[in-house]
Amino acid sequence: MGQEKIEDNLSGRNSKTSLTRRTVLSGAAAIGLSTVARAQQPAEVKVGLIVPLSGIYTRPGQVMRMGAEMGIEHINAQGGIKSLGGAKMKLVVIDCGDTTEKAKNAAQRMVAQEADLVAATGSYLSSFTLAVTEVTERAELPMLTLSYSDLLTERGFKFIFQTAAPASRQSELGLPELMKLAEAASGKRPKTVAMLMDNTATSVATAKALKEKIFTQEGLQLVVEEVWTPPLSDATPLIQKVRSARPDLLLFMPNAISDAKLGLEKINEFGLGQGKIPTVSFSITIAEPDMLQSVSTDAVQGIMTVVANWGSKGHEALIAELKAKYKEPWMTQNVISTYGDMWLMKAALEQAGKADRLAVAQAFRTMDGGPSKHYPGGQLKFDEKGRRVGAGVVIVQWQSGVPVTVFPSDLALAAPFWPKKA
Amino acid sequence: MRGWRSLLPIIVFTALYAAVSLSVTNSYYQLVMTLVPVWAIFGLSWNLLSGYTGLISFGHAAFFGVGAYAVVLGQIHFDLSPWIMIPIAAILGGIAGLLIGFPTFRLQGHYFALAMLAYPLAILYVFEWLGLQEVTLPIKRDNPIAYMQFADHRLYTLLALAMMLGTILLTRAIERSRFGMALLAIKQNEAAAEAAGINTLAWKLRAVTVSGAIAGAVGGFYAVVLLVVTPQSVFGMLVSAQALTVAMFGGVGTVWGPVIGSVILIPLAETLNAEAGSRFPGIQGVIYGLAIICVILLAPEGLFWKVRDFLRKRSAPSAAAKLSAPDVPVAAAVPAAPAPARAKRPTGTGDVVLEVRNLSRSFGGLKAVQDVSFKLRRNEILGIIGPNGAGKTTLFNLLNGFLRPGTGEILLDGREMSGRKPHELCEAGIGRTFQIMRPFLRMSISDNVVVGAYVRAKTDAEARQLATDAIARVGLSEIADRIAGELTTKELRLMELARALAGQPRILLLDETLAGLGHDEANEVVAVIQRLARDGMTIAIIEHTMQAMVRLVDSFLVLDHGAVIVEGEPEAVTRDSRVIEAYLGKKWVAHAPH
Repeated sequence: MGQEKIEDNLSGRNSKTSLTRRTVLSGAAAIGLSTVARAQQPAEVKVGLIVPLSGIYTRPGQVMRMGAEMGIEHINAQGGIKSLGGAKMKLVVIDCGDTTEKAKNAAQRMVAQEADLVAATGSYLSSFTLAVTEVTERAELPMLTLSYSDLLTERGFKFIFQTAAPASRQSELGLPELMKLAEAASGKRPKTVAMLMDNTATSVATAKALKEKIFTQEGLQLVVEEVWTPPLSDATPLIQKVRSARPDLLLFMPNAISDAKLGLEKINEFGLGQGKIPTVSFSITIAEPDMLQSVSTDAVQGIMTVVANWGSKGHEALIAELKAKYKEPWMTQNVISTYGDMWLMKAALEQAGKADRLAVAQAFRTMDGGPSKHYPGGQLKFDEKGRRVGAGVVIVQWQSGVPVTVFPSDLALAAPFWPKKA
Repeated sequence: MRGWRSLLPIIVFTALYAAVSLSVTNSYYQLVMTLVPVWAIFGLSWNLLSGYTGLISFGHAAFFGVGAYAVVLGQIHFDLSPWIMIPIAAILGGIAGLLIGFPTFRLQGHYFALAMLAYPLAILYVFEWLGLQEVTLPIKRDNPIAYMQFADHRLYTLLALAMMLGTILLTRAIERSRFGMALLAIKQNEAAAEAAGINTLAWKLRAVTVSGAIAGAVGGFYAVVLLVVTPQSVFGMLVSAQALTVAMFGGVGTVWGPVIGSVILIPLAETLNAEAGSRFPGIQGVIYGLAIICVILLAPEGLFWKVRDFLRKRSAPSAAAKLSAPDVPVAAAVPAAPAPARAKRPTGTGDVVLEVRNLSRSFGGLKAVQDVSFKLRRNEILGIIGPNGAGKTTLFNLLNGFLRPGTGEILLDGREMSGRKPHELCEAGIGRTFQIMRPFLRMSISDNVVVGAYVRAKTDAEARQLATDAIARVGLSEIADRIAGELTTKELRLMELARALAGQPRILLLDETLAGLGHDEANEVVAVIQRLARDGMTIAIIEHTMQAMVRLVDSFLVLDHGAVIVEGEPEAVTRDSRVIEAYLGKKWVAHAPH
């Protein structure tokens, strides 16, 4: 019932904006297309969005819905799925809750009750995506995801398509860039590094790649390593260790906003902020709008984070629309990736030529959509594991109260600066 | 016969459930249909420990999670099918139960509950630390059936249902055996159980082992259904809470409780989540919570008991008519006025059965029992009297092992027994009753009494026979099927006596058996005790009122301030000035006949 209401809202919004177009289209259809062909094609094609809309991950889920709604609206405004006679895309939203178990049950509900879905996207946290795709795989429903745990695409699944670079790859791509940036800006390469991380799957995967390979490769010496279990109750002992070790670089890797806030407050309290020790993160958490609710813009100034996607060059109109429509100050990975997923589904539907999940899955597998517009780097093409070919990363830096894309240069909205010791 | 007929509702329920589940085609509802028996089994596992023993476990997720991870890791690392791993998960769950139970059973009440809470939470972090945040059961595309991967999800429901039926049958078998009786006895009164000869620690360990094994097995099966195992989803607080919730909602201490709770709550939660979840995020938690609060307030022991009590009350008028009749013969069977049924024997003859030498026990500065010595001879009735606080009950507690003596010896047939556990002393032949009655209120008289018989009986049938005999000896045969909660004080006193007798003790310690009884009732009980003595029982009885005792006992032991002040025949003792002083104060000594 909840979903229906959302759908109603959506189609209501759509019908207002596309009323004239629909009239035009049906006119065109009457003239140009055979009535038989049109009768065979559905008036709308359903796609699913399965994200957390209750519990502690509600906020990212809501933001993903914004991206999906905008995507659907734009696609339908531009004539829907042309190979299906201009069929409209329709979004079905399903709450996957805040535990793996709920996510799995929600996925079961999605495949059972929405039998005519042709594809879906979700589910924010890798753990949820992992559970959801166990179900969608068995139901043979193609599933796009912005989650980036390596595990997602290491299970030999045929119906999962990962648009982001896997976690291990992200640190591999991101850290060398940061080192180059540091060298260029300050004239010397950082030599020592401190790592403060929570023990969630993503952080663990990233840290593993860093410690086993990248630190050595970049000539970095790990001087402090501290792990906490979220939620972090007191950051003092962590930051104290960093202060006494005085590393050239601090990797601060929280995944909960509250942990990020607590850590940054403490960093500033100890006088290590604002470039005294350049701070880098590896998830979007530290660049979420919520951060500014309790941390000053000065406190975050210069902090960088390596993420799988971000609002970048070429998305200016979209960012403006997001600001106007949803009052979101900037565009995080959740918005742009989910927006892009809608376009990716559209492309697959166009290629498949029919509203059928198997055909759409096959379209994803064989797609060669050229350079990617809504994901950084690479192409709209998936390898045999379901990973997007050439998927890159984006480095985002807090500049004057806004996290802006600073790398890669072709997507950058601003030039990076290396925080300098005052 | 009775057993098989009472199985009928269970079999009918299972068959109906199976029929309904086969007619469900929507895969989501199929999942819900599977989760109902899964949580019912988990609730049954919790019930087996906490429902029957009353030791609330907040940590059953520990066993559940061990099972779940065993199945997943077994398939990932050793390519072992869940068909093999689920039984192994049961074994691991059982071992976990034993390992956790052994240290934790030292604690009682809230301390036990809180300690249990710690285990799954601690294990949760261990699994996170091991890097097992998210583990999935690999898909087997070649031979799915061999790996319990069914395309038709209804098979999972049938499998879960079969496991549930097995668990119900196991629980019922336990409930009706010495095992279940021991657990129920522990729940209602651990001290009384121990005094009745039940080795409470051993039974509790058996219970937690079986309970852990069931939880391990169902945890393993849950992993197969869930596909993805995370520490939170199998070791989390909510998992432990789920077991508690379904059992407490449906009814604690019965096989039906967790099943009823699960059948109502699981579909309710899932439906609320599905229907209202995205419109009012979290609404399912609110409604679910409210439903549970209401049930706890209106039916604190769960729906099953509420409904049963209601049905009993409705049929009460007819039952009362039937039950009032047997009361008469009970009274008739026992002569109202106790006659001196046997000749008084001169004291100091006969074999010494129990000898107490210089027994002392202090609580801090208070010397509750000091330097007490006496001998109890075969077929003697010894009255231990003294004013309130004289140390009479403490003396009994020392004799039956509730307390360890500070110094001194307790010789039973010449063997040193001091410091033994109550159930060992019971086995050695010391039975006792309590000043404050400790009946198992939900159990019938015969079930109450049978608890006391197990110490002597090798088989359940033998125990029943001993219990029947004991009930006959106290004259309660006619009302043996009544629930203890419905009995009068006199009947409860007699029932306690029967429970002590059922273990065929050689010495009976009776603690204020006449307390709270009217004059006529006291006479009836005295008559019963006299008959026991005539049949050769050796008895030590505590009283602080002397009248009834004078006619009953062969000799008195008078205690005051923990020490023996007089010992001797009734006539002499009642005239002793020290006794009068202890009871009435110094100024009455002058009035006493000399």
